[in-house]
Amino acid sequence: MNTANIPNSSLTKCIVYFKDGNSRTFYSFDKSHRNSKPNKALGIRRLEKMLMHRFKGMWETAIIYENFYKGAELAKYKDGVRLF
Amino acid sequence: MENRDNVKCYFDFTKVFTKTKNYIDIHNNKHEELKKRLNANHRATAELITRLYAKQLNRAVSLGKDIKTQLPGFKTFNPSLATCKGCTTRTIINHKERLKAAGFIIKEIHRGKAGIELWINPLIFDDRVKNLHPLVHEQQEQNNNNSSVDKLITSEKEGVRYEAHKQSNNCVTRTAHEQYMNTEESRISDSENQTWRKKKSSVRESESAFLLHLVLAFWSYARAALYKDLIFCEAEKNEILNNIWASIYKKFRVEGSKKDWENHQIILYKRIDMVSRWLKRNPNRWIPAPHLYFHPENTRNDFRKTHKWYVKQETLKRNIRNQILIQKIEAEWKDHVKSIYKNKAKTGLQLFRLQQQRISVYKDEALIRAFEQSLQRTVLNKFTS
Repeated sequence: MNTANIPNSSLTKCIVYFKDGNSRTFYSFDKSHRNSKPNKALGIRRLEKMLMHRFKGMWETAIIYENFYKGAELAKYKDGVRLF
Repeated sequence: MENRDNVKCYFDFTKVFTKTKNYIDIHNNKHEELKKRLNANHRATAELITRLYAKQLNRAVSLGKDIKTQLPGFKTFNPSLATCKGCTTRTIINHKERLKAAGFIIKEIHRGKAGIELWINPLIFDDRVKNLHPLVHEQQEQNNNNSSVDKLITSEKEGVRYEAHKQSNNCVTRTAHEQYMNTEESRISDSENQTWRKKKSSVRESESAFLLHLVLAFWSYARAALYKDLIFCEAEKNEILNNIWASIYKKFRVEGSKKDWENHQIILYKRIDMVSRWLKRNPNRWIPAPHLYFHPENTRNDFRKTHKWYVKQETLKRNIRNQILIQKIEAEWKDHVKSIYKNKAKTGLQLFRLQQQRISVYKDEALIRAFEQSLQRTVLNKFTS
């Protein structure tokens, strides 16, 4: 997959509000290999892993949305705890 | 034709389409033979031609050409019509033949690289067609033998693409047919295949709801017992359910009655209970996340391994039950020898028959063997003592 094209092709995105005041959007990588069918659950799991391991203790709130205009909230995390 | 002012005239698409439809309906009413009739696919081609032709004429009018006296021909290419309709050029050629036979196309000229030029029946692009309106509205899709509509019951679970049935996709030709699917071999063209599918689906319809309920019930039970604290969104839940369906229920490929499946479900619940007890016994024990625990390709630490536990537990239970029964029988014989308690009035044979009857209820060969051995022991003891 072309990494530059990820925001257009990914199924979910995660907006992270860091403790230092910054916020950043991450787009999910939904494929297990190049030609595989996109797996939404896999993308969500990877985002969650990123939050819980890579950015552990660095963020305050994180929300996972469906990656389209006015996409629904799929998961919300506050201080390392999943709220829904 | 719509006269907006005296100078320019435009073709109204609605009127042209109505005229096309009426023309084909009248033609079909006249001809009973299937080969002469125009089916929905021919109709779609006719509509496509009409639409493009009207568009071309309107453009010509807007460019200032005078088409009042004589209509110019419809200039096009077979391949472009084919891509527009989503079929092969051969289909377009065949359809044109049929439309020519019906009198819809009155003339065709091949211009080599410049494509083809078609002349459509002037009735379509003339007001005179207005007089041919039928008194009763006729259904456009009547007597369509090739239609797949209402002939096949499909469900999402079977993996049938719903997109193929969406009418919105067919807006080019304005029919409920899968024009763009026409380039490949038709999925349901075979009539035998159709009836087979119909039968199969009707049988499965009643069962599938029950089987789906089994999967859902299993997941809710497992979640309550093993994954109380975890939260899952819809996508994750669907993935887990798919994994359960594939690994634990083997995609329901195993033949079995409703009762068999219910018994299997009870065993599964017992296995989950075993796992939860196993987890409670030691805080260091863990099981993987549900998408892995129920994954069909996970052979290391998946739920299916608990089947061994279950078998082991059941055999152990049975052995203990057998031991208790045999002990009871031996005690009865001892009491009989001493002629005390309730069996003192019975003869040896009566007691033996009674015990045999009691044991045969369990239908366990190992138990019967153990019973025989215990009898031999008691008999030997009787003689020695």
